[in-house]
Amino acid sequence: MNAGTRVLLDVSGLQKRYDSSGVVAIESITLDVKEREFVSIVGPSGCGKTTLLKTICGLLRPTAGSVTLDGKLVTTPPPEMVLVFQDYARSLFPWLTVAGNVRFPLKKKNLAGAESTRAVGAALAAVGLDRFAKQYPWQLSGGMQQRVAIARAVAFRPEILLLDEPFASVDALTRAELEDLTLRLRDEFGITMLLVTHDIDEAVYLSDRVFVLSPPPSVVVREFAIPLGGARDQEATRSDPRFLSLRNEIHHLIGRPLPAAEAVP
Amino acid sequence: MKVRRTALGIATVVVLLAAWELSARLNKTVYVPPVTAIAATFVHEWFSAQFRDQALPSLLRMFAGYAIASTCGVAVGVVIGAYRPLYRLVDPVLQFLRAIPPTAIIPVGILLIGIGDTMKILVIAFGAFWPILVNSVDGARSVPQERLDTARIFGLSRSSTLLTVIFPSALPGVFAGLRTGLSIAFIMIVVSEMIGSTNGLGYYILQAQRTFAIPEMYGGIVLLAILGYCLNAGFVAVEHRILAWHHGQSARTV
Repeated sequence: MNAGTRVLLDVSGLQKRYDSSGVVAIESITLDVKEREFVSIVGPSGCGKTTLLKTICGLLRPTAGSVTLDGKLVTTPPPEMVLVFQDYARSLFPWLTVAGNVRFPLKKKNLAGAESTRAVGAALAAVGLDRFAKQYPWQLSGGMQQRVAIARAVAFRPEILLLDEPFASVDALTRAELEDLTLRLRDEFGITMLLVTHDIDEAVYLSDRVFVLSPPPSVVVREFAIPLGGARDQEATRSDPRFLSLRNEIHHLIGRPLPAAEAVP
Repeated sequence: MKVRRTALGIATVVVLLAAWELSARLNKTVYVPPVTAIAATFVHEWFSAQFRDQALPSLLRMFAGYAIASTCGVAVGVVIGAYRPLYRLVDPVLQFLRAIPPTAIIPVGILLIGIGDTMKILVIAFGAFWPILVNSVDGARSVPQERLDTARIFGLSRSSTLLTVIFPSALPGVFAGLRTGLSIAFIMIVVSEMIGSTNGLGYYILQAQRTFAIPEMYGGIVLLAILGYCLNAGFVAVEHRILAWHHGQSARTV
């Protein structure tokens, strides 16, 4: 519904073999993400999801294949793409306040003082943390800390957010809140989302499309379109028969994955 | 609870001093004068120009040496810790050099530089440098990968990553090193002044012993204890201010 038709991110035949160990984490992954689309990647644990995201955003160099963002080849992290890590405690800066953390990357953007203050305020308001600007991240709960990390990413105004299991370290209720928050941010700020998760329900609930990975060396086993419409609701969507049949189908697929050799396109 | 602990601490000190006083008076040995005699000498000696002539030079040398050690140790340490290839290259050498007891370097200092303030300052700096360096290296090496990746994602240059991400992350390690460095600097000043000096606290204490001015000798040691205590207290106060975030965070996660 929300998604445009222009391909924003194009991942083609991406392979990652670690130089030191020779282990192939990712065999060959091809996928695309359209403008303002919410796309999830699910797979069994240890299928190289974090490696995949780090390679997509240019932190790691692929051993084969390519990533293009807006038609430009990605070789180092581009400013239009921000990765949010699972471990907020390690990615946030504990010596800075909440506002200081959100403001931190804006210095690079050469924004005027007032402008960056406004951007920080808007991002904190969007994640519901405007009252906590002067606190330190470690004074907040886990879910709130992850909101700080998300606000920091949003304030940077990327075109696409890569989310690496961002809700894996919070409780179920907070998790649902954060899920809906990301949907809202996609709509409010027009940010495209690429989420990596091991939670199939979460992937189906949030996404327009879901890519299922095989165990390593990973390939895309199948792509699912999720025709559940633009507006999602924790209760209504999750009890929708289409939701249930999709999640069952994906569960089935991951539970009995195809042998890697057969799945290679 | 806190009042009771303080009272208990004071009581312990009073009992120990009284025991000393009593045994000194009963034994009547010149080598261990009574506490009251030491205290009288202490007041007479140190609330005078003596402080300026003996204690001040020691403190100035120590601060000069410590300042050099801190600046070089932190700067070099953080850079080594931040760049893994550099770390692998120099780590064995650092581990070997830091194993030298710093007092052993004093003869080298005298040989190369002679007996003077420069020698003492450099010898103090040498002693304090190693713990500061090694702990700064460890601090910079222990920055979480996610934090470094975050800096890259937001397009920070290598130099601003070093200054605004790695350096603050390394501060807990840096301060651990600065604290050890401070106590080593304190030891080095006394030793270097005992070996080659015409003033300073180390010189004073040794001279008092050689001229049989026993209460003066003890008075000098007491002054060192007081200075050391104050330096450490001052250091802890500064550390608590600068590392408030670290202590707050540790208190949360433990």
